[in-house]
Amino acid sequence: MTGAEILLESLIAQGAETVFGYPGGQIMPVYDKLYDYGDRIRHILVRHEQGAVHAAQGYARIKGAPGVVMVTSGPGATNALTGIADALIDSTPLVVIAGQVPNGALGTDAFQETDYIGLTAPITKWNYQIRSAEDVAHAVARAFYIAGSGRPGPVVLDMTKDAQVGIAEYVPAKCDFIRSYQPCPVPDDSILDRAARMIDAAERPLVVFGHGVMLSGAEKELAAFLSKGDIPAGSTLLGLSCLDSDNPHFIGMVGMHGNLAPNVMTQQCDLLIAVGMRFDDRVTGTLSSYACQAKKIHIDIDPAELDKLVRVDLPVLGDARYVLSELTARIREVKRPEWMMRPIMEASVEKHKVIDPELHPAGGMLKQGEVVAAVAEACGGNAVIVTDVGQHQMSAARYSRFHNSRSMITSGGLGTMGFGLPAAIGAKIAAPERTVCLFVGDGGIQMTIQELGTIMQEGTGVKIVLLDNNWLGNVRQWQELFFGSRYSFTRMMNPDYSAIAAAYGIAYKRVEKRGELASAVRQMFETDGAFLLDVHVEEAFNVFPMIPPGKSVDQIMLNETDWI
Amino acid sequence: MKIHGDNENLYEVTAYTEDSLGLLYSISGIFARRSLDIYKLLCYPSAIEGVFKIKVYVWATPDLIRQAVLQIEKKVDVIKAYFEIDSQRSKREVAEVKDILRNREELKTN
Ligand SMILES: Cc1ncc(C[n+]2csc(CCOP(=O)(O)OP(=O)(O)O)c2C)c(N)n1
Repeated sequence: MTGAEILLESLIAQGAETVFGYPGGQIMPVYDKLYDYGDRIRHILVRHEQGAVHAAQGYARIKGAPGVVMVTSGPGATNALTGIADALIDSTPLVVIAGQVPNGALGTDAFQETDYIGLTAPITKWNYQIRSAEDVAHAVARAFYIAGSGRPGPVVLDMTKDAQVGIAEYVPAKCDFIRSYQPCPVPDDSILDRAARMIDAAERPLVVFGHGVMLSGAEKELAAFLSKGDIPAGSTLLGLSCLDSDNPHFIGMVGMHGNLAPNVMTQQCDLLIAVGMRFDDRVTGTLSSYACQAKKIHIDIDPAELDKLVRVDLPVLGDARYVLSELTARIREVKRPEWMMRPIMEASVEKHKVIDPELHPAGGMLKQGEVVAAVAEACGGNAVIVTDVGQHQMSAARYSRFHNSRSMITSGGLGTMGFGLPAAIGAKIAAPERTVCLFVGDGGIQMTIQELGTIMQEGTGVKIVLLDNNWLGNVRQWQELFFGSRYSFTRMMNPDYSAIAAAYGIAYKRVEKRGELASAVRQMFETDGAFLLDVHVEEAFNVFPMIPPGKSVDQIMLNETDWI
Repeated sequence: MKIHGDNENLYEVTAYTEDSLGLLYSISGIFARRSLDIYKLLCYPSAIEGVFKIKVYVWATPDLIRQAVLQIEKKVDVIKAYFEIDSQRSKREVAEVKDILRNREELKTN
């Protein structure tokens, strides 16, 4: 077989039946063979390689298995970089296969040659240049193992033309061991015992959980742990949907635009238990004042995250699912009625000061939260919510409801505008039976708007809710609050989205009035296939609550004038 | 010439690695990201067959060197990484890395 055929056989052996890609000169031998594999590998032709990576991310986040990307060398490969960086910081498993110039041309500045190993070294979990057909099966097996195990991440295979056209025998390869790589460390019993003793001794424990819970499939274990210890828990942005929104121990989202309860209680707890999260600065606010009063346990699978930003009393290196189930077995069953009242009190302040004015305003233009709440109501909290980056992302995180895990797909660590639309496409392809609803701003949609072409070609039924405010809203908010209302290049003229939707054959509706919202949302969900709901929302809108930069997590703006 | 703070030491970082293209670049990149100047860098076969040894000498604070070394050790092709102010421990290291590899191979076959 040629190396190209071995590659495709190896992908099939890994269960990778969907590939997001874009062809070009140095990957043509693979695409030529792909032509014959149409019945076994579904190739989604995106409109830009950045879209391929984000779509594969959306796919991977639903499936819990690596998304596969195929691009050509040079510009195709460099276009993929943003998505690869995004996937690394958000721990998303990807296998990116890039074409590369022939072996003899490497290093000569050949046409469409880039040093892809060098370029991707800092933004991949592992990368590898395949230079011969004999090496293909082994490299693919290794790539999937590395991408999907331990703390997941993106892997790049830089495949020279020689590797694609060379001939070798296809010997199926498996990889579940690499001697230099220990993906799943197991903590000592003595550490688990110590953690359990600390939890038992605490009066006001608080859990802050992140994406790691979802990645390890520890949703049930987390709920059981919280229930036995009667411990309130806040989620990071990427942890959302791990716990049912109605779980009595779930007290909301932490961080800059998070809920009051988990942020304020971070500064009141006597034990902070961080699970599968990495103390991002959007979560901690000013580090020097973060939960100083509390003892801290940090459970994470990545040793480099422990004691990186926040010094903890007990680092627990291990998989969240294993550690949580062990801890649940070891802790005492208790009730903490007083401590569990705190979130209720904080939530009532937030409802009065922030949520009610947002969801039930006296008049004026529609607010972002109203739109998100209307969508949540219409789909009963059962949709997969995908967001782009900006104010609408925070509104979506705050006002969506979740009853199933793996239902919130967003770009957290890198905050990549342009992520949303292609990620929603990937999510819908991974879960065709589920409703996939994207919230996107008028800035972000225009960063990857060409992917409407992918929706058109593939018939992907993504529901797109465009929160249209004629501003780069998030930056506008910072300019208003912290830069003396000097709106430097954030006002943005919009195209006629109805014409754009029509050009791509996508159903469209424009909403401006409050009274039209509910029926328009209903119409969107009742319409088969893709839908673009263009909602004109308040322009000079600010997302609150907000922990301003440089403040600690209990110094919170409730609106433009009130702080707690 | 860079002025080094009171809390900075010249550390010897040793990484035992597989023979992997681009790894040296990745490792030096970890120091560059944290603005840690590399004073000297050596790469050579270790006393263990098939295992390479990368030695990097950098000025850093204890906290930064610890974090950087953890990030080095996280690289898939790095077997083990150490840091020390002096360089007296290399015999112990070799013995330890041999142990690590033996244990892992045993785990694999079990
Ligand atoms: C690729 C990229 N460029 C720039 C930014 C900085 N940025 C963050 S949010 C934002 C504005 C987003 O505007 P829009 O998409 O309209 O959403 P809104 O905030 O109005 O909801 C910008 C420019 C970014 N996160 N990503």
